Amino acid sequence: MRSSVMILAAGIAGIFASSGLLAADGWKPTRPIEVVVHTGPGGGSDTLARAVASMIEKEKLLPVRMQVVNKTGGNGSVAAAYLAEKKGEVHTIGFFTGVWLVNPLVAAEAKVTLHELTTVARLVLEPAVIAVKADSPFKTMKDFIDEAKKAPGTLKQSGGSITSRDNVVRQLLQKSTGAQWAYISFPGGGERISALLGGHVNMMVIEPQEAGEHIRAGSMRLLAQVASKRLPSFPNVPLLKEAGFDIPVVPQVRGVVAPPGIPKENLDYWENLFRKFVQTAAWKKYLEDNQFEDGYQNSADLLKFVDAYSVQMTGILKDAGVKVVR
Amino acid sequence: MDIISGLWNGFAVALVPINLWWCFVGVFLGTVVGIMPGLGPPATIAMLLPLTFQMAPASAMIMLSGIYYGAKYGGSTTSILLNVPGESASVVTCLDGYQMARKGRAGAALGIAAIASFIAGTVGVLGLMLVAPPLAKFALSFSSPEYFALMVLGLAMVVLLAGRSMLKALLAMLVGLWIATMGTDLFSSTSRFTFGNMEMLDGIDFVVVAIGIFALGEVFCNMETREAAQVLPVPKGLRNLLPTMQDMKDCRFAFINGSLVGFITGVLPGAGSTIASFISYGIEKAVSKRRELFGTGIIEGVAAPEGANNSETGGALVPLLTLGIPGSGTTAILLAALVLWGFKPGPLLIQEHPDLFWGLVASMYIGNVMLLVLNLPLVPVFAQLLRLPVHILYPLIFGISIVGVYTVSGSLFDLSMLMAFGLLGYLMRKLDYPAAPMVLGLVLGDAMERALRQSLMMSQGDLMILVGRPISAVMLGLALLVLLVPVFGRLNRLRLQAIESEE
Repeated sequence: MRSSVMILAAGIAGIFASSGLLAADGWKPTRPIEVVVHTGPGGGSDTLARAVASMIEKEKLLPVRMQVVNKTGGNGSVAAAYLAEKKGEVHTIGFFTGVWLVNPLVAAEAKVTLHELTTVARLVLEPAVIAVKADSPFKTMKDFIDEAKKAPGTLKQSGGSITSRDNVVRQLLQKSTGAQWAYISFPGGGERISALLGGHVNMMVIEPQEAGEHIRAGSMRLLAQVASKRLPSFPNVPLLKEAGFDIPVVPQVRGVVAPPGIPKENLDYWENLFRKFVQTAAWKKYLEDNQFEDGYQNSADLLKFVDAYSVQMTGILKDAGVKVVR
Repeated sequence: MDIISGLWNGFAVALVPINLWWCFVGVFLGTVVGIMPGLGPPATIAMLLPLTFQMAPASAMIMLSGIYYGAKYGGSTTSILLNVPGESASVVTCLDGYQMARKGRAGAALGIAAIASFIAGTVGVLGLMLVAPPLAKFALSFSSPEYFALMVLGLAMVVLLAGRSMLKALLAMLVGLWIATMGTDLFSSTSRFTFGNMEMLDGIDFVVVAIGIFALGEVFCNMETREAAQVLPVPKGLRNLLPTMQDMKDCRFAFINGSLVGFITGVLPGAGSTIASFISYGIEKAVSKRRELFGTGIIEGVAAPEGANNSETGGALVPLLTLGIPGSGTTAILLAALVLWGFKPGPLLIQEHPDLFWGLVASMYIGNVMLLVLNLPLVPVFAQLLRLPVHILYPLIFGISIVGVYTVSGSLFDLSMLMAFGLLGYLMRKLDYPAAPMVLGLVLGDAMERALRQSLMMSQGDLMILVGRPISAVMLGLALLVLLVPVFGRLNRLRLQAIESEE
């Protein structure tokens, strides 16, 4: 029933779109845009895609509507494969995250890499912070690292899957300092925070927004920031580099891709759209509200980033003992 | 005193006509969503979220929460009538609910589901109101070893869910545990049992398995018998459609059991309403005097899990509202909603926005009454569904199952999985393998494996972490006790036989 309503809405939108707004040079969309995300409704990518769609609509940057389609499954590879199948399709785009980059590296079943799709724009870099419980004996990042060197393997960090950014930060820190501590994976963000607040683990890498309230309530404390510059909300917390740990800042990325083999005018149109979009006040406010960093890159730069990132991640994952298949 | 004045203010918020209206909209939508298999509260709430931006946040929170707990009422309907679980938390309800319907007691089953939901739902809100902050602290003391013990306790229930053969029950459970391992391993990112399928990287959706085994298995089995035009008995007259006084008496313990188990399980971020419903069913059976009748259509077998999955809602809101920690998919979306409305969910939320918290609590009391009033009159209406002749009813079940699975993922792969599990369900029925232990293994397997590995990573491989902590030790002890129940039963029988032969 739901999908029939959606088709109806899409149809109506399509009629309106094709009835007048076809002018100017180059390619213009004539049907609603299908926006593919790999999470279910309410997931990270879905929320971002819906927010971007409504902002683009409000700013009238696109003559047609954007319809978010959830292609869940396969840790993101179902959505990537769906886009790959839509070769040459000009009315479809997708929102990717770091998972789309890492998953094909570790799972042979995930056959579509970001390189095989058309990169459009990088939009967001998500910073992170390193938090401990408020009554933790560790006052600085150095305290933690020193203790981890003294008693290797006894300290614990809660986080997501072994391929997540949480673990990547740990791997880089361990490699550069020689310290060692355990990494305990939890599937849900709630469980990770519970483990820290309950005193079952000693440290976690957390999104600034999630940490904010616990810090204000006095139950959590920050040791360092994983960001390229200090976040406005935590002006007194040092960056990892400032704390004496000069490891590469591993970004959590989000951005837009299109199916492979689309015409040049089509790609130009998308690039233009998102170039205009990232300059809107609404988007800047959204970034600020969510404590994201503006990560804008155009199609060519994003492609370079993807390649560099894949190489970097392959090395880090191998160090972490993960089997890399590509 | 704080609680009384808080609640007083809460009712002042919740009783404003516009909030009453949104509360009604929420619980009504929730009931509908609950009845439709597949489509669950998380997806519904996420889709309605953009519409709430124009509303006052308290109204929006009241409505979205209404969907959350309203869905728990509706979930039992298709479980009882069609053996199609409306949502994952209603899978256990199929066991006795559908058997009751086959005996012509569909009305009583639907009625008791609504009544148990009301009682336990209200107890859940009471718990949320009275003990939220201390309980949230208690929940934080639960770490991986405790979760492991909880899952072991749940899995021990298999001896209670077994049919005639313990061996077959254990085999079915092992298959369930095996299915639970499919997909990408969280700890090593290795694919397990995906057979090269990209779609399998996430594992197999529990709802697909449950609908396949229960609903399609049942349809396939009945197609074979070809007793044409056999209609399930539906008694006439309203009085015969609702639970009797005797039913209510039989369910006294189930109401308490469901309320408490559901609430406590709900508070724990690592468990959920599906686990709550299984555990309360197991406890109900363990303490019952007529244990052997469970699975044949016994009313407390419906009341306990339906109660548990409702009071779980109140429990799940405890960590969300007191700590800003979501323990389930639905509460994660409610958390996102709070952020979007400009709140900062966290330890200070209740203190800084008492209107939101108390308005929500008060509205949940009202919403539960609304749901009871809404659902009881629907019982006779729904019960009429069983008057349909089988050549209409079975295709209907088939259609609902397919639509239910497809709306969730939009994936044809899931549909082929549905068919495969339908066939497995058929074979299991033919060969007399019980389905419940398999589903139990599937529900608990993943969480149990995870908790065990987390525990051992924390202790650097020392197994003592599992038994050296008081809460986990107690739960493991209970699990051992549950496992010994059949042994004691057999010893007792032997003893009685020995006495008889001596005489």
